[in-house]
Amino acid sequence: MKSLRRFFARLANLATRRGQDERLKEEIEGHITLQTEENLRAGLSPVEARRQAMLKFGGVEAMKQDYRAVHGLQFIETFFQDIRFAIRSLRRTPGLTAFVVITLALGIGMTSGTFSMVDGLIFRPYPVPHPNGVVTLVSTTHDSNFDDFSYREYLDIRDKTKSYDGVIANADMEAVGFSAEPGATPRIKGGMMVSGNYFHVLGVEPRLGRGFREDEDQVPGRDAVVVLGPDFWRHEFASDPTVLGRTIRLNGTEFTVIGVAPDTFPGMLTFAHPDFYMPLAMARVFTTDLRKNFFEDRDDRELNVKARLKPGTTLEQARNELAVLAKNFESEYPKVNRSRSAAVYTQFQTRTIEDDNWKFGVIFVILALAVLLVACTNVAGLLLSRARARTREIAVRLALGAGRFRLIRLLLTESLILASLGGLAGIVIGYGIVVWFHTKESVVFMTELPMALPFHMDRRVLLACVALGVLSAILCGLAPALQSTRVDLVNGLKSAEGDAPGRKRMWGRNVLVVAQVAMSLMLLTASFLMARSFQHSLLDGTSFAKDHLLMTGFDPRLVQYNAVQTQQFYKLLAERMREAPGVQSEALMQNVPLGTGDFDGVAFVPDGFQMPRDRENFTSTMDTVDEGYFETMAIPILRGRGFLATDTPDAPRVAVVNERFAKHFWPGADAVGKHIRLDSRAGTLVEIVGVAQTIKYESTFEKPMDFVYMPLAQHPVARMVLMLRSSGDPLQLVQPVKDVVRTLDPNLPLLQMRSFEDLYLNQAVKGPGIAIQLVGSMGVVGLLLAIAGLYGLVAYNVSRRTREIGIRMALGAASSDVLRLVMGKGIVLVGIGTAIGLAMGFALEQLMNSMLFNAGGVDILAYVIVVPSMFLVTMLAAYVPARRASKIAPIQALRYE
Amino acid sequence: MKEKTDVLQGTLALMVLKTLDVLGSLHGYGIARRIEQISGNLLAVNQGTLYPVLLKLEQEGAIASEWGASENNRRARFYRLTREGRKQLRAETQDWEQTAAIIGRFFEAKAEDLS
Repeated sequence: MKSLRRFFARLANLATRRGQDERLKEEIEGHITLQTEENLRAGLSPVEARRQAMLKFGGVEAMKQDYRAVHGLQFIETFFQDIRFAIRSLRRTPGLTAFVVITLALGIGMTSGTFSMVDGLIFRPYPVPHPNGVVTLVSTTHDSNFDDFSYREYLDIRDKTKSYDGVIANADMEAVGFSAEPGATPRIKGGMMVSGNYFHVLGVEPRLGRGFREDEDQVPGRDAVVVLGPDFWRHEFASDPTVLGRTIRLNGTEFTVIGVAPDTFPGMLTFAHPDFYMPLAMARVFTTDLRKNFFEDRDDRELNVKARLKPGTTLEQARNELAVLAKNFESEYPKVNRSRSAAVYTQFQTRTIEDDNWKFGVIFVILALAVLLVACTNVAGLLLSRARARTREIAVRLALGAGRFRLIRLLLTESLILASLGGLAGIVIGYGIVVWFHTKESVVFMTELPMALPFHMDRRVLLACVALGVLSAILCGLAPALQSTRVDLVNGLKSAEGDAPGRKRMWGRNVLVVAQVAMSLMLLTASFLMARSFQHSLLDGTSFAKDHLLMTGFDPRLVQYNAVQTQQFYKLLAERMREAPGVQSEALMQNVPLGTGDFDGVAFVPDGFQMPRDRENFTSTMDTVDEGYFETMAIPILRGRGFLATDTPDAPRVAVVNERFAKHFWPGADAVGKHIRLDSRAGTLVEIVGVAQTIKYESTFEKPMDFVYMPLAQHPVARMVLMLRSSGDPLQLVQPVKDVVRTLDPNLPLLQMRSFEDLYLNQAVKGPGIAIQLVGSMGVVGLLLAIAGLYGLVAYNVSRRTREIGIRMALGAASSDVLRLVMGKGIVLVGIGTAIGLAMGFALEQLMNSMLFNAGGVDILAYVIVVPSMFLVTMLAAYVPARRASKIAPIQALRYE
Repeated sequence: MKEKTDVLQGTLALMVLKTLDVLGSLHGYGIARRIEQISGNLLAVNQGTLYPVLLKLEQEGAIASEWGASENNRRARFYRLTREGRKQLRAETQDWEQTAAIIGRFFEAKAEDLS
């Protein structure tokens, strides 16, 4: 209590210091006068009386120090002094200060900008109260550690677990035909089916109306209610509060609006912000698997399950409980749950397992940190030379009795101010990067659905900026501060900066040169590698047709077609389009290569393949296509045949696999004529009738993967894409498509109608191009910084030896000897730096290869270009001052200071 | 942060409190004189060291100060004990006596006393 009161008193005194000083002065004056009078009375002479009084009082200055120490907070007070002093001395060298600030700003800005990415992708908590308690429950198999649960499984988990304060489920966000008025043509919006307890368990309070009641999710098809997302409500209903109770149409069915989610809850998904939420019980209105019964089939796994841990329950307990439940599933339903387990993931695990994009973010952050390190080395080098130039000033201060710690603090304050300025400017740059990301949003998401990049310059990123600023202040300020306060006083006072190049002293700068070469080399190899492997990726496995193609998406479920009607629709559509003028060929496919959608998976057992003992089946990615697919997309059939019109539902089941699949399961044999069984050993028999060339399916950076094609006629799918090859401009086919669809069903919306080439360029070329641009600019910035810093350091090192060079030349050394001496040192340093840089670059390359894509080992060209250019710069930096030194007259050099 | 918190300063504070307790309101010089007289000039302390102690006591609320006129009509700052200070003095006096008594007993104790 007492010390607290003192603290506040002293804090307050900081502000009123002047008045307090006055008071003390007056008190001292009064005290000495009284004592003098006393002494006078004792008979001393006036002069002696005052002298005795002062002696008795003691050292006034020392006492004042003590007094002030009691009086205010000395630490803060001297801190302000340091700041004032540092600002003054920084203003004396505005050029250097500006350079340092810009350098640090680039490093900090790039790091914070890219950190916002990793933050958005991995770390940012769910937008709900107590987000740490929310865990994700997943079904796992041999091939997947992130599988969904079926509706039945979800109900069992919800009812039979005790670790949670509620278990919720949601389907993927999907395209839903929305119309506010009965007559209006439906528009595509993003809707998400959720369990009745969704909002309640997450702790999200609707800003208007209410969330779902549990009973609204119990009877399939009974409660057609909908909760709107905040953005959708704002844009579609102009924030109209009377929206509650209004009827809207989703996929042609009437729904009643019961609530609006709050602004704080844009949804649980990383990229998507659902426009509205519907109860799971209304699944029949939305896109579920046509071949399965959503409410009954235990293997219709379409639900993402999350739960809120009970306070006090550990993750371990929850995991064990779910593992036991999964075992029970396995023994109770061996047919659909064989070798299937379950896992509980934290938010971090969920985000890192579910989606791979964070890996890009991590690589970007690593590279940005390298830029920051280069920037710090630069600044450290500059501060070091600056401190050297101040040797005499520091020596004088030490000689006058300044403590070493106090001086280090002073110098660190200087770098802290530099770093704060750099951090502020870095925030601006980081913000610029985030804005730049957002300008690319439309490129990244070519879809009608409400998607957004989760990168923001929020509090967390700002905090990171501040932390980086302090860190870099210490990084680049500590070494120079330590070194420059370790001055030999006599020498320091004698000359401003002339000193023999003592081993210890040079060491620091040499380390900086080596570090700089190594860092920039690593940066350059990384960006080189990314750019080049991107080019590789673009050429590899993308030989399918892209031009002269018009794509149009259809989802007959939006107008309530049943399975039979859907099949009929696609049959007629294909037939009529084939006959339309200007159409060269036609294809239907569930997903286009390198498009926006996700491919389905298929579980199978290859016939005659020795299954590992603990495996029930394999899974592979698949697409459902019609008989025109391989021709229209120009994907060569290497052996066997593609699909034919004779592959009808009644004919024997057939499939086409890609080359990798064929080699994987029947190495050295012909896959054509072999069979696979779907799901399990007892499943439907499917004959492989053809082997297609392996292409890229999901992303430009993917590694070759197994792939299976199924004919649409035998494997019905609701949502398909029609691809038409045109003789001329593909957009000329827009009208014919519209005409044909109108004759079939005028209410059916056309989705994603565009030239396939446009989509391909956006998805496969421009999207990844953003990554390349980012990495490339980091490489360039890193290189420029490194060159500037390297040049400065080397040139400074050499120029410091001007006197030594003068002596050597006075003693008869030729200028070539001098050059050799100076350059030799530089070559050694760059050599060491190159070796370290190569090792780091190689390590980073391995990391990137293992994380993202296979660029095919070491990229020699990167090294061939990068290494010599670094050498060249360093040599030049050493050469210019060395040459100048060797040119000057020895007598001048000796006088040089 | 460097502060002198040695024994001397602690005892000096106690002396100041006791002086003010006995003599009432007093200025800095008066306190210094009084301590000098009582200690019989044995305490060779610079008078200046008194002022930081006074300030510290004031910040702790043990004493209060205000401007007044000295004997010869000079402006001087007068210090007086607060209620808090009186309490503190009582407590510290007790502590001090206890400590002194213990130390005293140690000095008087002979080896055979413990056998």
